[in-house]
Amino acid sequence: MIELIIINGLVYGGVYAVLTLGFSLVFGVAKLLNLAYTAYYMICGFIIFVLATILGVDLIPSIIVAILITCLLGMISYEVCLARVKEHEVTVLIISVALAILFQELFLLIFGGDYRRIPPFVTGFLEIAGVRVTYQHFIAIGICLITLISVGLLLSKTKLGYAIRAVAQDREIANLMGINVDRVYILTMVISVALAGIACAVVSPIFMVHPLMWVHSLIIVLAAAVLGGLGSIRGSVIAAFILAFTEVAVVTLVPGGSFLRGAVSLGVMIVVLIVKPEGLFGIVFEEERL
Amino acid sequence: MTNYIFWLYHVFREQILDIPGRVIALVFFILILLLPLITKEPIVLRIFTFAAIFAIYAASWDLLAGFTGQVNLGHALFFGASAYTVGLLSIHFHNLPPWFAVSAGSVAAVMLGLLAGLPALRLRGFYLSLVTLSFPVILSGFILLFHELTGGEVGLYGIRPLSNSRIIDYYIINLIMIFSVLVMWKLTDARSKIIRLGVILAAIREDEIAARASGIQTTKYKLLSFAISGFFGGVAGGIYAHFMRTVGPSVLEMTFSFEAILWTILGGMGTIYGSVTGVYILYLFVEFLRFHPIGEQIRFVLFAIIMILFLLFMPQGICVWVRHKIEIQCRRCKIINLVTRHYCRSCGAPLRLER
Amino acid sequence: MITFYNKKNDWFKVILISLLFSTVTTLAYASQPVSTLKKIKIGVIGPMKFGVGQQEWWGAKIAADEINGAGGVVVKGVKHEIELVKADSNETKSTTDAVNAMEKLITFDKVNFVTGGYVAEPVLAMQEVIADSKVIYIGGAGTQMLTERVAKNYNRYKYYFRNIHSNETMFSSVIFSLIDMEVEKIRTELGISKPRVAFLLDKIQACEVMPEIGRTLLPKMGAEIAGVWRTSMRADDLSAELTAIKASGAHIIYHFLAGPSATVFSKQWGELRIPAATAGYNNELPWKRHWKDTNGMCEYEVGFCNIGRTEMTYKTIPFFDKFLRETGEYPTDHSSTYDNVYILKEAVERAGTLETEAVLGELEKTNSIGTRGRIAFYPRGHKWPHDKVFGAEYDTQVGVQWQKGSLMVVWPDGRHVVGGLDDKSMIGVKYKGTVDYKLPPWMVEYWKGKTGK
Repeated sequence: MIELIIINGLVYGGVYAVLTLGFSLVFGVAKLLNLAYTAYYMICGFIIFVLATILGVDLIPSIIVAILITCLLGMISYEVCLARVKEHEVTVLIISVALAILFQELFLLIFGGDYRRIPPFVTGFLEIAGVRVTYQHFIAIGICLITLISVGLLLSKTKLGYAIRAVAQDREIANLMGINVDRVYILTMVISVALAGIACAVVSPIFMVHPLMWVHSLIIVLAAAVLGGLGSIRGSVIAAFILAFTEVAVVTLVPGGSFLRGAVSLGVMIVVLIVKPEGLFGIVFEEERL
Repeated sequence: MTNYIFWLYHVFREQILDIPGRVIALVFFILILLLPLITKEPIVLRIFTFAAIFAIYAASWDLLAGFTGQVNLGHALFFGASAYTVGLLSIHFHNLPPWFAVSAGSVAAVMLGLLAGLPALRLRGFYLSLVTLSFPVILSGFILLFHELTGGEVGLYGIRPLSNSRIIDYYIINLIMIFSVLVMWKLTDARSKIIRLGVILAAIREDEIAARASGIQTTKYKLLSFAISGFFGGVAGGIYAHFMRTVGPSVLEMTFSFEAILWTILGGMGTIYGSVTGVYILYLFVEFLRFHPIGEQIRFVLFAIIMILFLLFMPQGICVWVRHKIEIQCRRCKIINLVTRHYCRSCGAPLRLER
Repeated sequence: MITFYNKKNDWFKVILISLLFSTVTTLAYASQPVSTLKKIKIGVIGPMKFGVGQQEWWGAKIAADEINGAGGVVVKGVKHEIELVKADSNETKSTTDAVNAMEKLITFDKVNFVTGGYVAEPVLAMQEVIADSKVIYIGGAGTQMLTERVAKNYNRYKYYFRNIHSNETMFSSVIFSLIDMEVEKIRTELGISKPRVAFLLDKIQACEVMPEIGRTLLPKMGAEIAGVWRTSMRADDLSAELTAIKASGAHIIYHFLAGPSATVFSKQWGELRIPAATAGYNNELPWKRHWKDTNGMCEYEVGFCNIGRTEMTYKTIPFFDKFLRETGEYPTDHSSTYDNVYILKEAVERAGTLETEAVLGELEKTNSIGTRGRIAFYPRGHKWPHDKVFGAEYDTQVGVQWQKGSLMVVWPDGRHVVGGLDDKSMIGVKYKGTVDYKLPPWMVEYWKGKTGK
């Protein structure tokens, strides 16, 4: 029983963490609550679907092409939509929702609402302590670790990383110091969308793609980001694992209630926020606290 | 007696006819009430009735978000809670008069709203928004859990209708809409000398710390705005339940919460008439496109594109832009005048600086 | 970057948008359908952007084309042509949209009859619309609540008939019959005397009764319950539930998955090689694309559907093949709109008029051979009036299993009949073309390795 919870929790947590990384990054740096983040994840999925399933291209090249196209799309949508309104937070929120709805409806029109499959990297499973986990799930966790480490290295060791952290801390001073803030924003956006694309590539063989997949993932991503503290990457990854363990615990211990797993994780988020309003690792300035 | 009529006429002329924006509102209300005389097509009346219900719903969101700055991403909670309360009451107590059921539903929505507002007090900005997002999801979970009571994912049926005829339904609902919108507008009017709520809410929205420094109890007013918003959201949900005669978990969908926001933003946040305008423009557009065979397919894509265009080029909303075109505010006495005037109608000052 | 900040461009935007708006709406209103006299209009309503809606449309279209090609519907000597009107109810996303679509079909397009429907909550609301307008609706959504309403208030809701799905009592009896078949197989091949059954059910009204029925029926079959899992219809990932089910030692999974999570279930059940036989309703199983969608992982999975490629009636195999030829997909539950169009034609011809009350009377007396069996409706006074009659010769459903990439019919096999209805009349029913049920080989391997419970 307990090994079921631990192993499945790790599996789901890895998947959710991959999803949440990019969202936290873009919020932490650009303070943009981009609700269309999971829509990029969906677009990437559909591009992979078109390339790999319909056109029959090999999986790895189609994933790379899909990520590139999604990054381009992310950049274009950022330039066209988000850049000019990034001062007004509420407008950013709403325009990203409108963008996500636009993509959803376009895909609904072109592909229909049924679930579509993406060919998996590998089939088969491994049995650990009596619990069966598919290789695809392992790949998801593996990629999560690799991306976490690389993003961490990027932020702490490279020049770009310094620039991103500087802009995240204080945009105006960073600008004064000579950092091209607009370029940093665009690059952060590209990195975030690339992370969404990678998340999609590993997760969609498990989840399948369909035009409404962004809604469910958005709730998970938002819950994890908020629980961990908006702006803290470490926080969002840990929160993703917490939410995953909660969900798996509900499924395992209360099987008749496994339909409630979404509601329970959100409940956990609310409870934590009541106790600590800025999330687990959130940053808050003392003068803003009332 | 005649003096009274003259006085009434003067008030009418000064408050409504002299202000172009309000003339448009008056014309709009008259047209809404005259609609059944133009067409009796049931589908048209149904669409306009839904538009009225959603107008109350969107206006109640605006009251919360536009006036106190608390962006509520889970507004469907009030709508759904009231709809289910009305449904349960109407089914178990037959022949319960609708006004009673709807009031009870609104009260239930308010209670839930206050319960939801309590964690919101400690939270700010995005945290608040994302927490409010989860409330309808949790309520849906409860509804599925107590399925014997609530009908699970199928829902409740057998709710008593508002009246026997589609046209009388239409009038009842539209009169409720006009009344609610006017009440909400009056409550939040920052210029009112009698009701100070509007000014206080505006102060809280602009700078909460300064408002607190001035001695305003922001906590109380924020909770009050949650309550009022919940009440009117509940009114919308209650009459929806009576109109549809069935209620299901679709009233708590996340996309439904987002729709209120999108409609309001199109019309203009921070003004009650903005949300009503947004609903009547956008919802009617999407619905009437269904009559065209190609339009039926692409109507949601067009909806999203129009939203994005408006958010990029007119983020303050269409109402503010229209008002800017037809009205001008006198700099000395702050009275609103028709834009074609040269001198203010009350203080006589020139409205524009001449060269 | 072009900036749009000056006044001229304000006007430009407004003019552009209002032009767009007005052209579209005038086009919309101007393109009203013109109704002529000698047509019978049947509305087909469903979620047209999904496979289910397409099945409903294709079924109705094939029937309408056949009837029109054979001379149309003859009403008192006058030939009528069937015209189908498609309406996208968008019911999976919005109930208000579904209700508006139904109202438009009835009052604006002025259809004579309506068929279609998929999700229970919008169908519940649509029943109000047809009751107000008094239009016959042969609909779907398999929950007892919909026909119980007809019983409670016959005069208002009598216009609703159901010939797409059965209700949960019928479903349960079919699934328990499948389980009976599998229990016998497990006993003989694996030597397990008391197989354990795990329930994996959607959280929907139709599934509420199933564990209860299981508690009474399973001990009689010599089986026991391993656990009850309730999932959400839109679940993306069922691996946690499946591994928990395996940990509970279940030999059979009683499943009822009516939403998109069904494909995920098939895929993960096969991928994880869960050593349990499946028996239940899987929305996606009887589709031809299911094999590719699950990468072949659905092999050996068992489900049921209301049609399969066997000789249920003389019409079944020709319909199945024609459907496959014209659409490239197997017909599934929702293609019953084919039968619906035919019984409407027959009712209209018998009544001699298009007038609703007369046609309704004749429709209630329907007793003709369809593609799934004989079609008849329970009468007023039954606990589910206007629901389709279930039983031998009538609607029996078929159990299907994917074997080597083909969908084979494995039930009714003539022997295993258990049910909430205790309908023993089905004993002996076995259609030509039914094959034997096979246990998944990985399951045999797994349990032979253990001592077996």
